[in-house]
Amino acid sequence: MKRPVVWLAGALAVLAAIPFVFGPLHTNLMVRLAIEALFAVSLNLLLSYTGLLSFGHALYFGVGAYGAALILTHLQGIPILVAVLLSALAAALVGLVLSPLLVRVRATAFTMLTLAFGQLMFVLCSKFREVTGGEDGIMGWTTPPLALPGLFSLDLRQPVNIYFFAVGLACLGILAMWFFTKTPMGSVMISIRDNQKRVDYLGYQVVLTKAVIFCFSGFFAGLAGAVYAVFNNLVSVGGVLHIMVSFQPLMAILVGGIGTFFGPILGSGLLLLLEEVTQAYPELALMISGVIFILVVMFLPGGAISFGARLRAWWRKRAYLRKARESEA
Amino acid sequence: MNVLQTKGLSHHFKGLQVLFGVDLQVRQGEHHAIIGPNGAGKTTLFNVITGTYRPTGGQVVFKGQDVTGLAPYKLARKGLGRSFQITSTFEKQTVFQNIRMGVMSRRGIRFDFWRRVAGMDGVTRETEEILAGIGLVAERDVLACELSYGKHRALEVSMALSTDPDLVMLDEPTAGMSKEETHATVELIKRLTKGKTMVMVEHDMDVVFSLADRITVLYYGAILASGTPDVIRDDQRVRDAYLGDMEFSHAF
Amino acid sequence: MSPETQMYLAQGIHGLAYGMLLFLVASGLTLIFGMMGILNIAHGAFFMLSAYLCVTVLGATGSYWLSLLIAPLGVALLGILVERFMLRRAQASGMGHIAELLLTLGVSLVLAEAVKLTWGTEGLQVNVPSALAGLVNIAGLEYPIYRLFIIVLSLVVLALLSLVLFKTRLGTIVRAAVSDPGMVSALGVNTQIVFMLVFGLGSWMAGVAGVAAAPILTVFPGLGDQIGMDAFVVVVVGGFGSLFGALLAALFLGELNAFGIQFIPKLSPVLMFSFMALVLAFKPTGLFGERE
Repeated sequence: MKRPVVWLAGALAVLAAIPFVFGPLHTNLMVRLAIEALFAVSLNLLLSYTGLLSFGHALYFGVGAYGAALILTHLQGIPILVAVLLSALAAALVGLVLSPLLVRVRATAFTMLTLAFGQLMFVLCSKFREVTGGEDGIMGWTTPPLALPGLFSLDLRQPVNIYFFAVGLACLGILAMWFFTKTPMGSVMISIRDNQKRVDYLGYQVVLTKAVIFCFSGFFAGLAGAVYAVFNNLVSVGGVLHIMVSFQPLMAILVGGIGTFFGPILGSGLLLLLEEVTQAYPELALMISGVIFILVVMFLPGGAISFGARLRAWWRKRAYLRKARESEA
Repeated sequence: MNVLQTKGLSHHFKGLQVLFGVDLQVRQGEHHAIIGPNGAGKTTLFNVITGTYRPTGGQVVFKGQDVTGLAPYKLARKGLGRSFQITSTFEKQTVFQNIRMGVMSRRGIRFDFWRRVAGMDGVTRETEEILAGIGLVAERDVLACELSYGKHRALEVSMALSTDPDLVMLDEPTAGMSKEETHATVELIKRLTKGKTMVMVEHDMDVVFSLADRITVLYYGAILASGTPDVIRDDQRVRDAYLGDMEFSHAF
Repeated sequence: MSPETQMYLAQGIHGLAYGMLLFLVASGLTLIFGMMGILNIAHGAFFMLSAYLCVTVLGATGSYWLSLLIAPLGVALLGILVERFMLRRAQASGMGHIAELLLTLGVSLVLAEAVKLTWGTEGLQVNVPSALAGLVNIAGLEYPIYRLFIIVLSLVVLALLSLVLFKTRLGTIVRAAVSDPGMVSALGVNTQIVFMLVFGLGSWMAGVAGVAAAPILTVFPGLGDQIGMDAFVVVVVGGFGSLFGALLAALFLGELNAFGIQFIPKLSPVLMFSFMALVLAFKPTGLFGERE
């Protein structure tokens, strides 16, 4: 069997075992990790693979979350998976609607435009309380069970069930994005990051490719948002559309390792651990975020994942030196 | 038959006129060099033909179709490839990946996200054939930015050809190269463009005379003369225009 | 004058005052961008910090004028330190403009929190200096003198800026660099010192605006958020690095803001962003910009 397949099978086995080894408290932590990681990887598609820094990815997360909350509140009896998928599609649709503007700008202008769109959605959702519940948000809907009629029915209020639901969807999403980077269109995406002009002269439609990437990234960010809604049974502007919601996955990417696929997942895990440790001092959260941005950019631009690579290089060098010494003796 | 023809092509930047009604004709299968003193508008002519800018006047006809102001990607799909004066590759990708981008485009694989690109044996094989043809097999997995200057330039030119265009336009292919590198690149271009139509802008007259069957001289944004190398060599107006240009007079 | 005309006039001057203040903030931002290609996300935080420094200096000395002198200098010094010890290092990280944006984002978060720890989260009031207190009668409209002072102060600072830009060697270098980024190193100047000075100058302008705004706004940790965001919009709409574009955009957005609050209070923040989106849709480099 190929090595990646073995790795994958191993990782899935470990994930499947977690709820039975640790208790429900830790499965909740894992659900949060699944949501954060899926969200961060979707943003990373733009940052590390298309070379575009977005300050407004909460927009898609928020649309997915509000979408799920609204569907589950107003359309009773809809299967949960359909509701979640529709919400993610709504986020992808937002990406499609905004893409005519987003494809036109690059670099800092892109960052500012995404910031504006993110803030715009925040303002709109705060003001239109008739639909969104304003500052209070939407809560208290009954989440239908994950069911196939006649086969099984899982109550998603049970920690173990929501764990498999969230981790399963996150794994599927992350795998889909991983696969995407390996396809011809993934190559075009990376080439747009490296040299947009050349891609154009080679006969590829840069604008349309970018639009597809925005939809794709928006879809999975929306999926993360929808899972968030199902997990928390509460959606509010502060929780899903606030600017810090955009910064959180950025931090995860930075901490884990910009320019890598799996760095953001590692980063999400590290940030979650940090949050657990500093949970007693919530007023320090923003300060810590700021310090993380500064320290990583200045001192560890490769992120935590580069730490592993450095360690390996150091180990190899040591082994090499030892061997050289032995052969000398 | 003319593969490429421009009719009264003119262009200006913010009131500064650069091209004054250029009528360029490039015939099927010929190797055509555009020369001229600095500031004659050669690169602008190139950019206007390949879709970088929309010309402010005139027409570009490619393979019998009016393609004036068409976007670069559309021109590329119609069979026009170009290289750049300032090397413009995918520097953080390997030589193989660089060429593969051209091969994918040639095969029309553009919006495909349901297959792994590494699993496309046809694409891989064709890319490797091209690498063998340009002598970069040993550098297959080297990042483009780590290539020597000469090899990086060779990659630049090869990328223009990797889409298998009907007409390839090379913007100063040997710019900044050493004598040996220039010689190697001239041989490479000769080999790769055999039987193809090629237009190039070039300063090095040795390169021009060893590659071109026809030469067009551009002077202050207009065509001064056009003809075979021998005709151009003997043209008095061309000699006058180049008076003082050491490089050119040296070439005679 | 009918009450309606009075309202229009009042909102018009309000918009002008905010527009000039906005231009003061945005011109520092666009100057830095034009010179160094860096959009300083912490610019709004510098504005806010300056207002807090103003509170402290005012408390210690009792003189508004002294704090107008000292607080912006403090912010300028901070800007210089950030440029010298942080940005320069971030630029070596190989992430391009992404590193700079993320680093200055970090600085802005840290500043906002540091301010909370130092001054608390309660809003603080700065009194209008007695010389500028009171109202003035403009064609029958009673209008606060202090807001007019903001317009005058902005004009004075901008006059100073143009003196620096057009009459000094530093200004020549900056103008050359803004029109052609490759020029600076070709000029044979010590670019590092120039960058540091420009960053300091830009931060100083944010600082002046912060002190100017303190008496009309409540000084609180989120003070810089709104104007910082508006300044980004101004820089983008006017065109990165274009002072003239920033002036037009700031004045227009100032009025848009004033009348937006008057007529559609619910949606006034939306106007700003929609306008920016509209401009970018037709001209991705902004109205007077040539760079992205």
